[in-house]
Amino acid sequence: MKAYLRLTWAQLLLFARNKNVLIWSFLLPVLMILAIGTLMGGGGNQFKIQVAMVDEDQSEASQSFIKGLEQVEGIKMSHYSSSEGMQQVKKGEADLLVVIKKGFGTHISDNKSTTDTEQVVLYLDESNPTIAEVGSTLVNQELDQLNKELTNFQPVVTMKKVNVQSRPLTYIDFIVPGILSLMIMSNNLNGVAATIASWRERGILRRMQGTPLSSASFIAGQMTARVLLNGLQALVVLLVAYLFFDVHVYGSWALLIAFVFLGTLTFMSIGFIIASLSKTPESASPIAGLISFPMIFVGGIFFPIRDLPDILQPVVKAIPIGYLTESLRSVMNEGATIVELWMPALVLLGWTLVSFIVAAWSFRWDVD
Amino acid sequence: MIKVKDLFKQYNGTPVVNKISFQVAKGEIFGMLGPNGAGKTTTMEMIEGLRTPDSGQIYIADLDAVKEREKIKKVIGIQLQSTALFDHLTVEEILLLYASFYPQTRPIIELLTSFNLTEKKKTLVKHLSGGQKQRLAIALAVVHDPQVIFLDEPTTGLDPQARRDLWEIILRLKDEGRTVFLSTHYMEEAEQLCDRVAIMDQGKIIALDTPLGLIRQLASESVIEFYVEKEEMKEELSTLAGVKEVKLAEDGAVMILSDQLQRTLYDLIRLADQQGITLSGLRTRTATLEDVFLQRTGKRLSE
Repeated sequence: MKAYLRLTWAQLLLFARNKNVLIWSFLLPVLMILAIGTLMGGGGNQFKIQVAMVDEDQSEASQSFIKGLEQVEGIKMSHYSSSEGMQQVKKGEADLLVVIKKGFGTHISDNKSTTDTEQVVLYLDESNPTIAEVGSTLVNQELDQLNKELTNFQPVVTMKKVNVQSRPLTYIDFIVPGILSLMIMSNNLNGVAATIASWRERGILRRMQGTPLSSASFIAGQMTARVLLNGLQALVVLLVAYLFFDVHVYGSWALLIAFVFLGTLTFMSIGFIIASLSKTPESASPIAGLISFPMIFVGGIFFPIRDLPDILQPVVKAIPIGYLTESLRSVMNEGATIVELWMPALVLLGWTLVSFIVAAWSFRWDVD
Repeated sequence: MIKVKDLFKQYNGTPVVNKISFQVAKGEIFGMLGPNGAGKTTTMEMIEGLRTPDSGQIYIADLDAVKEREKIKKVIGIQLQSTALFDHLTVEEILLLYASFYPQTRPIIELLTSFNLTEKKKTLVKHLSGGQKQRLAIALAVVHDPQVIFLDEPTTGLDPQARRDLWEIILRLKDEGRTVFLSTHYMEEAEQLCDRVAIMDQGKIIALDTPLGLIRQLASESVIEFYVEKEEMKEELSTLAGVKEVKLAEDGAVMILSDQLQRTLYDLIRLADQQGITLSGLRTRTATLEDVFLQRTGKRLSE
């Protein structure tokens, strides 16, 4: 027990004094989240429709209509003269062109409902149907609102919108649990394999073998230190994601930590196995890299597993990374509980047990 | 204290330790002298329980070192040839860590004082000098107050001052009543420290005695060393007065062991004069363990 606590503490000191650990475990995931969050437009401001506005009327009424439209969420407006406006759409600089015809203002002040001429014309690029659809709906809504006001329309049937989530989920919400999963895998698998193989090569382990220290105490110390490191790392990642991009953990923290714990143990054990299998520390890192690199793509880290080709699905179902990523994501994004996640939890537990047993069985102090 | 019988270990069919037997008495410093690759480290690591012998018996303090490894580990303290420690821990942290592996230990403060490391206790291992690192390695070996201490080439690579400091420490271990088993390839180290020395070469013990006893085993007392161009002189050299043996070292030096230094030297110089031969690098000295080793194996110890 004394040895286990000392070893854990010593390993934590080694982590704290190793610049590489600090860079790879804390700086890298934080930078990744900041970069992805900024590039992908986190913080709720999703894509905006670029509207080119041509006001031929220049009346008080048209100005107030434009002001109203400008305030609609999802619209970014630029003003042009009539000839320029069309060019913007054709060049693809703007998604749609709104032209307010001359006579818009007088039409309103006269308050006559005619259908002979249009007062507002919408030019769309139908090759991008989603944007054309959303754009025309937004402009339509604004016009509709104006019409209702003008005719003193009293709605008979009304609807109330209730937002069930504090804010909509965006790509940053998707990516944060992915990065967490990636870090748990790569730190433990690569970190353990390289460290243990090099300690063995340098004779650090052989020196310890000359003492009554048991391999169980040694491995347990390593695992505890790494679980603590990964816990802290998860906390930093989640805190940065929360502060900068308002990413929340909707589910239980205890369950999230439990999955971090399972993932750490599984990938550490695999790291120990790689360290035992490789003859030299020089070969341990490439082997670990060869295993972890493809997992980045099939582990559901940057895009969902269901987007992978069918041929890969059985592979994905067999390895632990996908279960870890999806579980972390479900807990964070959907507030999933153990009732929904018992299956991936069981698979990860199975992986942890099997790989731990193989790791303990194959562990060697010496190069021999 | 240590009994070794018919110890044998081979790697890929080549015997590294070839059926050696010896005993180490309680409280003595026992040295194993030999060149690199002689089998010293393998022998020590088998006694320490780090390697399993192919055959043979090892007993330490009446415990079977092969079968009762775990008990042995509490009785012995080891320092490995290239002591690798965690570079990013301080002296004090390493001592506390190793102390935690044993049920009973000496106070860390006492160890720091007795190994002259008190000032360095907050220093990271990677910032220690070679001598300080070795002192720490030996401190770790005695952290649990063991009866038997194994030191594998403790002074290799150290400067003369650091080496003498370490010798003092090793002699103090003996004064404390411990048994010390050390290996070295420095003959002067064996002469200075050891009560008895086993000379090892190619997996075999070729001589075992006190340092003085080993030197006395040679009938001669002096050595004449020189280099010559022509090697055919050897025949004539052995007929010179007082010559016991003529040897050709691997590096080409001719060595004459003599019990009548003055006569031999006089004859040698006259002979060289007659034949018009230049004796380069000519020197004489009293015989050492180095010569014992050379006489037995035809090889020099160091280099």
